[in-house]
Amino acid sequence: MKSVFIVFNQANTERIEYIMDLLSIRGYTWWEDVQGRGGVSGEPRRGTHTWPEMNSAVMTIVPDEKVPVILEKVKLLDEQNTEIGIRAFVWNIEQVY
Amino acid sequence: MSIYKSSVRNPITTILVFVAIILFGLYSFTKLPIDFYPEMEFPSISVMTSYDGTNAADIEENVTKLVENTLNGVPYMKEITSKSQDNLSVVSVEFEYGTNLDEATNDIRDRLDQIANYLPDGADKPSIFKFSTSMMPIIMYVITADESYRSLEKILDDDIVNPLNRIEGIGSITVVGGPKRVVYVESDPQKLDAYNVSLEQLSNAIRMENINKPVGNVRMGKEEYQLRIEGEFKDSRFIQDIVVGHFNGKSIFLKDVAQVRDTLKDLTMDEKVNGKNAIRFFVTKQSGANTVAVADEIKKEIEKVKKGLPQDVKINEIFDFSIFIKNSINGLSDSLMYALIFVTMVILFFLGRWRATMIIVLTIPISLIVSFIYLYISGSSLNIISLSSLTIAIGMVVDDAIVVLENITKHIERGSSPREAAIYATNEVWLSVIITTMVILAVFLPLTLVGGEMGMMFKEFGYIVSITVVMSTIAAITLTPTLSALLLKIRPKNKKDNWHDKIVVPWLNSLDSFYERTIRWSLRNKKKVIFSAIFICIVSFSLLGFIEKGNFPESDQGSLAAQLELQRGTRVEETVITARKLEAVIAEKIPEIRLVASSSGASDEGGFIALFNETGTNLINLNMRLTETSERQRDVWEIGEALRLEIAKFPEVINFTVTPNGGMMSGAQPNQVDVEIFGYDLNVTSRFAQLLKDSFNTIDGARDVVISRKEDKAQLQIEFNREKLAQLGLNSAAVSSAVRNRIAGQTASLLHDDGDEFEIVVRYDEAHRQSISDIENISFLTPTGEKVKLKEVAKVKELWAPPSISRKQKQRTITVSVKPEGISIGSLANDMNKKMANIQTPRGIQVNVGGAYESMMESFSDLLLLLVLSLVLVYIVMASQFESFSKPFVITLSTLFGFSGVFIALFISGNELNMISGLGAVLLIGIVVKNGIVLVDYTNLLRDRGMEVNEALAAAGKSRLRPVLMTAATTILGMLPMALSTSEGSEVWRPMGVAVIGGLAFSTIVTMVIVPVVYSLMARRGERDKEKMIREQFKFLE
Repeated sequence: MKSVFIVFNQANTERIEYIMDLLSIRGYTWWEDVQGRGGVSGEPRRGTHTWPEMNSAVMTIVPDEKVPVILEKVKLLDEQNTEIGIRAFVWNIEQVY
Repeated sequence: MSIYKSSVRNPITTILVFVAIILFGLYSFTKLPIDFYPEMEFPSISVMTSYDGTNAADIEENVTKLVENTLNGVPYMKEITSKSQDNLSVVSVEFEYGTNLDEATNDIRDRLDQIANYLPDGADKPSIFKFSTSMMPIIMYVITADESYRSLEKILDDDIVNPLNRIEGIGSITVVGGPKRVVYVESDPQKLDAYNVSLEQLSNAIRMENINKPVGNVRMGKEEYQLRIEGEFKDSRFIQDIVVGHFNGKSIFLKDVAQVRDTLKDLTMDEKVNGKNAIRFFVTKQSGANTVAVADEIKKEIEKVKKGLPQDVKINEIFDFSIFIKNSINGLSDSLMYALIFVTMVILFFLGRWRATMIIVLTIPISLIVSFIYLYISGSSLNIISLSSLTIAIGMVVDDAIVVLENITKHIERGSSPREAAIYATNEVWLSVIITTMVILAVFLPLTLVGGEMGMMFKEFGYIVSITVVMSTIAAITLTPTLSALLLKIRPKNKKDNWHDKIVVPWLNSLDSFYERTIRWSLRNKKKVIFSAIFICIVSFSLLGFIEKGNFPESDQGSLAAQLELQRGTRVEETVITARKLEAVIAEKIPEIRLVASSSGASDEGGFIALFNETGTNLINLNMRLTETSERQRDVWEIGEALRLEIAKFPEVINFTVTPNGGMMSGAQPNQVDVEIFGYDLNVTSRFAQLLKDSFNTIDGARDVVISRKEDKAQLQIEFNREKLAQLGLNSAAVSSAVRNRIAGQTASLLHDDGDEFEIVVRYDEAHRQSISDIENISFLTPTGEKVKLKEVAKVKELWAPPSISRKQKQRTITVSVKPEGISIGSLANDMNKKMANIQTPRGIQVNVGGAYESMMESFSDLLLLLVLSLVLVYIVMASQFESFSKPFVITLSTLFGFSGVFIALFISGNELNMISGLGAVLLIGIVVKNGIVLVDYTNLLRDRGMEVNEALAAAGKSRLRPVLMTAATTILGMLPMALSTSEGSEVWRPMGVAVIGGLAFSTIVTMVIVPVVYSLMARRGERDKEKMIREQFKFLE
């Protein structure tokens, strides 16, 4: 089991929802309106006058084999237009109750 | 959930809500009356008191002063003026604008009740008149007749007035100058004396004979009958056969001592239209009725009526206000249409996409339609103020939608789906959209607070623009994103370039980079830029001295009024001859005058008409109607000037005025400078007025210099010897009524004929009331039955008396009024002040310059106050947006160049600086400031993102040039049709179009350079570097 944490520009909301459905991912946790800044080139998303855009984030716990598929889709989405911005981070799940 | 999110997610609801708004708006639109101005009550109440047989001085002393004193100090009173003339006292109380006139009327009525007992016995009960624009005639007809003239009164009543009265919305129909049937019983005083019958006996006998009376019921058998006496005269012929007394045992019949004439009332006023016998009648509408609809109904009815009239009776329209309204409204509607087309073209030019353009343009009708709902609810009408407001607003309502749509497009082009782009892009800009709207409100809402005459006009203007702009903002953050989500498409990457991409985009790109280079250059040459800006400012503001200043622009309403004064004491018959000659000259020399209605002489009935038109036996009043503006070369002012030249050729005319657009129906304050002279002594003030008049006549461009107080007129005065009166057991009242009965006549009874009533007037025949000796020989009875001649108890003296005495603030005044021709009212007043400085004012006299000039000065100070208020409010809005004192200052500076542009535009186009162009300058603040905000806001943003000041300025300029140009272009082109319009009534709004276009065009160009320069001057390096500031606080971490 891995956890995949996807942070993305709100403008990509519908596509992320679509990807989740496409990959039949049922469980997730969704944060709307989160702030952040990309580690390499991304602009800040602060919801302020200066940086008006905002991010959303979704975390989903999936079987290991699903992770590469998700990452592949996220990469494809990012390549559409890198300005919008989307990143996915993966880490291990130790235990589930 | 935010409003834009829910509207995008529920497109059907959103669209239907707007459909509902549009439907309600259209419903309101169909219910709106069409009128020229918003209905306004002129806050003035007049009290008229008639007191027959008295001269002006008596009226002033016995009636006017009393009324004035009691009315003085009525709550909210502004000014009290009065006019005392023969037989009539008119006291007018002017109130502050916005006073509840119903309450004021009650106050006045209460106060009048208190003095009712102190008024002279012969005076009638004072009557109260209230004015409002709905009392102004909307249509005026003239009826001419040849053979049927004698029965015209009846024809008019039965065939014309009655059918018209049935039309819905008609207020009243007033007939002027109709021939009135009257039965004169004219006696020969010598015969009366010979038969020992008094005139009062004649009247009594007539009254006693002319009765119908029920005298009881009679029962006969099973029936009951009513018993009646039918003694009323069936015909005037019966009057001569009644017995008036007995002499030497024989009956004296009325025909023995008097002659009965069933005829028309004596001529005191001569009414002619194009030289023919005529009656005029005018129609007013009920308050709130649709002028145009009522006028149309009247015209339809008149066409029907015409068929039933005798051959020689002709009905002609002299004046139809509805045509002028229709033409003005049509002109404005055209302007509105053109504005819509221009604005659409501008948006299409910048965006190059049909769908986007349509989404933005759609906000225009929605915002405008909402104003119809406002007009309907507030009970107003479609008028030139409301329509002009819409024309002005049209360029502004698209601004918000443009900002929103631009951001949505940016997101879509980055690859977002239209739906998401609509939500998140709106989220980014909705706050700044609301703030720019608040800036506009800061300018327009104060308009609704302005008081005075100007406030009445601009209230609607302020509300409509505010409402439409607020509505456009609401539409921009709900409907625009919704429609964008539905209609906009992601462009395929490999799409072929269209015309816009090939031609406009490269051009705009090169404009962007040109502008960027300009900013960079001017940031390197700050001194040069600043000094040339100051230079431009000084030059343009000094133009202010050369711009003509006026009050309210006049429009060519195609009517002329003129008043001619002949030598005092001229008989009506003589005055009429001059009137005929003048009509002939007009017909020959001035073909543009289509219709001339002239009335000469004095109306003895005073009343309503007397309030509008001064009458007198030596006065000629002319009302003229011109041909349509499209059919003539000269405008109404040139024709007026031509008429002046013609009238000046008449040697018998000693004074005259020609008022373009005048006539009693215009109602507006004439465009003239009044010099008011206060002082008690009539002779001193009259002499001083004459002195002023002579000196004003030497001013170039001064016309119609007129002194309000007419020359003294001849009077005959009867002075009683009270001792002798007392000895004979008589008193002044008894003798004066006896004299009155013999000269003016006594109404003995009424003759009933065919449902109408006519007066039977008993008096001396004309041969016996023609000279002073005739008057002295008037005989009457003492209480003991003795016969006395007037000369035994009184002397008849000839003397001069002023025909009218005017008072203002309870002080006698005399006004010298001057009309400008070819110069503005401001420069005329300046010239007059110069002239007056050279004339020494006698002791005890005060002089005040008033009239339209005074209200112009008042309006200008109101306008200036409004300007300051708007600036402060705008500054507050901006300061709170930027959280800074200096940035808004940079932007406020740009309004200065807006005013520069206004002055330059007015100077070049030769328009006056007046209320309307001044208002244009005020509302320019909002539009100019908007440009500045866009620029400064984005610069701040870029600096916050870490750019260096100059770099940020250049980049912001480059990126914001298009939105600024777009909003400026939509506003300018939206007003262009108004500035170029030549339709009727366009004169009123043209100065505003010119002012706003000039100011905006000029200020846009200048501010785009000067704002970055001043910004960089005021910006301290690193003031926006928050990182550095925070680092200071956390030094300990290092």
